[in-house]
Amino acid sequence: MIHRISGILSNFDNLSRVYAVLIIIVILGGIISIPSMEYQGDRLYPKTIDRDSPLDPYDRGGEPFERTEVLAEYPENSPELGFTTAYLTPLAIALATTTPHMGTTIVAHPGGIIDEILYVTRGLDTVVETAILFVAFAMASYLYRRRDDE
Amino acid sequence: MIQVFDLNVEGRELFSLSFGDIVPYFSVYTGALAAFVIIFILIAIFSLPERQMNIAFGGDAYYAKEVNVPDMRFSRFMAIACGAATLGAMVTGDIFNFTLFAVMVGITNIGIVAASGNKHVLNAAFQYGIVAMLATVPLFGGAALILATTGSLSIWVLAGAGVVPLLAKALLVLGVMGEGIAPLYIGKAEIIRAQGAPYVLMIHFSSLLLFLRVIEIVLVI
Repeated sequence: MIHRISGILSNFDNLSRVYAVLIIIVILGGIISIPSMEYQGDRLYPKTIDRDSPLDPYDRGGEPFERTEVLAEYPENSPELGFTTAYLTPLAIALATTTPHMGTTIVAHPGGIIDEILYVTRGLDTVVETAILFVAFAMASYLYRRRDDE
Repeated sequence: MIQVFDLNVEGRELFSLSFGDIVPYFSVYTGALAAFVIIFILIAIFSLPERQMNIAFGGDAYYAKEVNVPDMRFSRFMAIACGAATLGAMVTGDIFNFTLFAVMVGITNIGIVAASGNKHVLNAAFQYGIVAMLATVPLFGGAALILATTGSLSIWVLAGAGVVPLLAKALLVLGVMGEGIAPLYIGKAEIIRAQGAPYVLMIHFSSLLLFLRVIEIVLVI
């Protein structure tokens, strides 16, 4: 028995399978424990959704460059919080007034809605995410160019 | 309310850095880990790649394998990036930030061996890459569960409160296991056959430190 298990574990082709089995065990155990979990109603970063807004569901409300109520875990670390949350570029304003169906485009185009939770209070996350992408691009370009050399 | 630095795991507070909602901290524990990482980054920067020796059985003959310098340069870059990601994971005070750094360690680990031309090593690295990709699911799932059940991702806020469900902790540990493949060493043992010793060793080193750090996080929150 032990011989067979060690035989499976010593072949690295089974690595992803062994790992998947571990995940399945934990998740099956976790599904049983879900009813005992408590969902916190007063969560951090609350958000109201205005379905009629052309910016739906990304409308955070408020006047640009005036203080808007945005919650942060450590407000003392972000003294300028709440000043840019409603800022839209001229292009975004034009899109928003023309049609109510461009919400995602407005957010996705460069200079779209500036989400302060992402870019001010959790700025380091954004930096690390792009750093991961840069590493992936560096590896891909290296492998691509190496194939050219041969 | 229990503070982070009242807990036995952490030790004294040395320094903390305010980055909005993400507040990295150096306690005696994480500070020591960070110091180790910095030493290894310096080793990766300044040391030259090893030249692997093959010894013929039953005689005195041995021969040195050729070291391809441009390939090693890329390995070195990836080893330094891996060290930087490990350093970030050691000092961050936020669980989602930690998971991001763990993912970055996983992807740079593959980058370190990407320069190798050995087919056997690349096969092992491919399997390892699949596991590292799979591992993002439990890793981010654990962080998402913590946010949903407690409303916070900050280790400072969660410290000692004991409100984080066991499932979230298990998923977090499982995710780090996948990114570092710490207990499933078979994939690593094959990867380590790649040449370029100080850089390849960064793979082991980063996964060891990631594991030490996730144990600390699980004990604290």
